[in-house]
Amino acid sequence: MSVITIKGKEVPYDENEVITFAEGLIGMPEMRRAVLVPIDEFKPFCWLASVESEKARFIVVDPHEVFAGYEPFQAEQVGDASVQTFAIVKVSSDWQKTTVNLRAPLVINTETQIGAQLILSDSKYQFAESLVQN
Amino acid sequence: MLVLSRRSGQKIVIGNEVVVDVLGISGDGVRLGISAPGETSVHRYEVFAEIQEANRAAEVAADDLENLALGNLSEMVRKNKDNEAI
Repeated sequence: MSVITIKGKEVPYDENEVITFAEGLIGMPEMRRAVLVPIDEFKPFCWLASVESEKARFIVVDPHEVFAGYEPFQAEQVGDASVQTFAIVKVSSDWQKTTVNLRAPLVINTETQIGAQLILSDSKYQFAESLVQN
Repeated sequence: MLVLSRRSGQKIVIGNEVVVDVLGISGDGVRLGISAPGETSVHRYEVFAEIQEANRAAEVAADDLENLALGNLSEMVRKNKDNEAI
């Protein structure tokens, strides 16, 4: 069992929970090995926190929790692999201005724990989609 | 930076596997064909820069995070979900 600290709080994790982003994320090479930490008091939001660099972390959410019809790719692109999709959330102190990145979702193969940030070209989804829809 | 001059129909190779082919030139535009292994991502630079910026901004936002904002969002998402279920 290892431990990372998120906002002063110690979070234990198991080595086999670690998600590997082979190239890091775009603009964030330190996000190569990360863990997903559900925030119990603020479901369905989670932390995606690097286990290598304490500063590198995001709030993420399963986009399907918020946008029921979200379909970033076609089923045949995934095949039989079991994948989990997350969108990076940019929380604003004015909470109604919070946005989610639906254009570049994080996709994680839950069997291999390997992840990648996809870039959807020619997509209707936005980099900064408002989380609070009218 | 390495600067190379190429004509239409000529190519360059990057590493052992990435080949960039100058397919055609018209005016100030150039068409490039890129062959790369599946795991190599290829993007227009503007798109790459936009995501880089978005990722960093989200990281900074997470650092300044206020629990109040996240509390409101969490409540909203759960309420919407309940409404869908009805």
